[in-house]
Amino acid sequence: MKTRGSKWRKSGFHWLLISPSLLFLGLFLVVPFVLLAVLSFRDVDSLMNLLPTYSFAQYKEIFTSDIYLGTIGSTLWVALVTTAICIVLAYPAAYLLVRSPNRKLRTFFYILLVSPLLTSVVIRTFAWIVLLAQNGLVNEFLLKLHLIDQPLSLLWNMKAVIIAYVQVMLPFAVMPIATSLEDIRPNLRQASMSLGAGRIRTFARVTLPLTVPGMISGAAIVFSLAAGSYITPLLVGGRLQPLLPLAIYQQVMQISNLPLAAAMSFTLLILVAVVVGLLGLIMKRWEAKING
Amino acid sequence: MSGIRIQGVSKHFGDNVALKRVDLEIREGEFFSLLGPSGCGKTTLLNMIAGFLEPTAGEIAIGGRDVTWLPPYQRNIGMVFQNYALFPHLNVFENVAYGLKIRKKPRAEIRSRVEESLAAVRLESFAKRMPHQLSGGQQQRVAIARALAIQPAVLLLDEPLSNLDAKLRKEMQTELKNLQRRVGITTVLVTHDQEEALSLSDRIGILGGGELQQLGTPLEVYRRPANRFAAEFIGQVNLIEARPLSDGQPASPGLLLFAAEGFETEPGKPLLLEAANEPSLKRGGPVKLMLRPERIRVSGEPRERGANCARARVADVSYAGNALRITAKLEGSGELVIHAPDPSFPDLPEPGQPLHLRWQPEDLIPLLPEAGRP
Repeated sequence: MKTRGSKWRKSGFHWLLISPSLLFLGLFLVVPFVLLAVLSFRDVDSLMNLLPTYSFAQYKEIFTSDIYLGTIGSTLWVALVTTAICIVLAYPAAYLLVRSPNRKLRTFFYILLVSPLLTSVVIRTFAWIVLLAQNGLVNEFLLKLHLIDQPLSLLWNMKAVIIAYVQVMLPFAVMPIATSLEDIRPNLRQASMSLGAGRIRTFARVTLPLTVPGMISGAAIVFSLAAGSYITPLLVGGRLQPLLPLAIYQQVMQISNLPLAAAMSFTLLILVAVVVGLLGLIMKRWEAKING
Repeated sequence: MSGIRIQGVSKHFGDNVALKRVDLEIREGEFFSLLGPSGCGKTTLLNMIAGFLEPTAGEIAIGGRDVTWLPPYQRNIGMVFQNYALFPHLNVFENVAYGLKIRKKPRAEIRSRVEESLAAVRLESFAKRMPHQLSGGQQQRVAIARALAIQPAVLLLDEPLSNLDAKLRKEMQTELKNLQRRVGITTVLVTHDQEEALSLSDRIGILGGGELQQLGTPLEVYRRPANRFAAEFIGQVNLIEARPLSDGQPASPGLLLFAAEGFETEPGKPLLLEAANEPSLKRGGPVKLMLRPERIRVSGEPRERGANCARARVADVSYAGNALRITAKLEGSGELVIHAPDPSFPDLPEPGQPLHLRWQPEDLIPLLPEAGRP
């Protein structure tokens, strides 16, 4: 009984410690979520006034309109492409980070990697405008070299969005891959080499499979960030790009259809949750195979 | 099947010299152990044979082929690591098949070779298991099967048994030795465990301070250690500094008489030693003699007076089951360590109990200066 009592006191103390953050999360995350969920089922009249009735009308509109379905499709597609590019680009970077010959160089690479995170997304995205604009650095450069006659339209399209996304989100993909690379015992590579596999085959058969968990967690982070970002596509893609976050913004700020915006938000949330959940499931399976 | 020739191999890590001009010939089909304390350079040498390190100087040949500058994957070696290094994402079958798949062998051949290798380590029924589902001993056997499946020219073992518990280690030693005999593969074992080296090897190379201190059969390195390093590393030892006595008369021809430094049978009376005459003792100066603890015989009764015997008192006893380890203090000065077989004492001797010690002239082994030291 005595140990039980002390256990209770101990866990009581733990609850006391986390209660401020729990309170904060509850008040500013869970409650708004619930309110948003309720809002998404409200009906509106033609002047976007909230009516006291509830229905699935907003969800019906999203899933029957070609425009909204197209927006969902391109949102997922852009997020997917960004994720794929990020993983491919992050791998060599992570490799360099982990295999750098000394600690000083490694620290340097780490700082280089995380330094973009120290500036705000807005500033970094504006930098892309400077680079990609009609009279921007890239076009000027290509024109000077006479590689093109007319400036390319690099800005205000999905390509620009993806480029900016990749730049913003790359560090989030590098970190987990670097971590899983670090976890591989160097002996495994030696064992592979002693069995006759060169560096490339050792990489393909040992290193790559063992970093699958790192790649998956990197993908989950990048995908959810890319599907939900709003500032970056607004700045480099323009507000008319068919992306869910922009559509939500439009509904709230310009059309004032709050229930539709709420329904869209929930649709986006659930889509991302499904993708991330699937990725998590694959990772669990893989880790269970390796670690039991 | 091939031997390994190591010629003048040195390895420097920056200013650190890990190996100094090691010459070594490992014969075809031989079980060879590199024995030494940690930091002696034995693993460095193995890694150079395997190709994970390049020597600073010297040459390494496997089966007559110079492999000094070849990467590990072109050397046709089988390597077993201390922590097994099984691929965690592959099952037992796939682990053993790895090297064969790399060599692009036909499927049927891979299957039969893997089954053969798993049978050799008695793990046929574990083919579908993942490494994490195996015990340490089983993992190690998979690692051995994996190394042997590619039919390598040499088998390199890097402290393969040191992660196993004592009983399992003994079993695996026997198994490893039998397997090696059956396959007949040239094997190099790196170990710091002298018992393991003694019981497994055809020959042992003792490494100390980056140099080869002695090369010989287990019997030679234990009974006739070349120098103090080898003597102290393999087993326990009593080291006695002695100077020759010209005036004393040995009991019989072919023996030399010495007086021990720091050992006195009675205050002021040095311990007399009679050693078999041999070339290394002919120089006439002070010598270093080795006396193994198990060579000292103990009796309760005094037998004789003269050389190679002393009266002593028990200073400390520790009981190891099959033997007693006694530290005995001579009546004058100096201590000798004795290993007495269990049956020699009905009860554990008490500290202070008198003992009569004696040994044979052949039990005193002269030691040469160590390699790398004046």
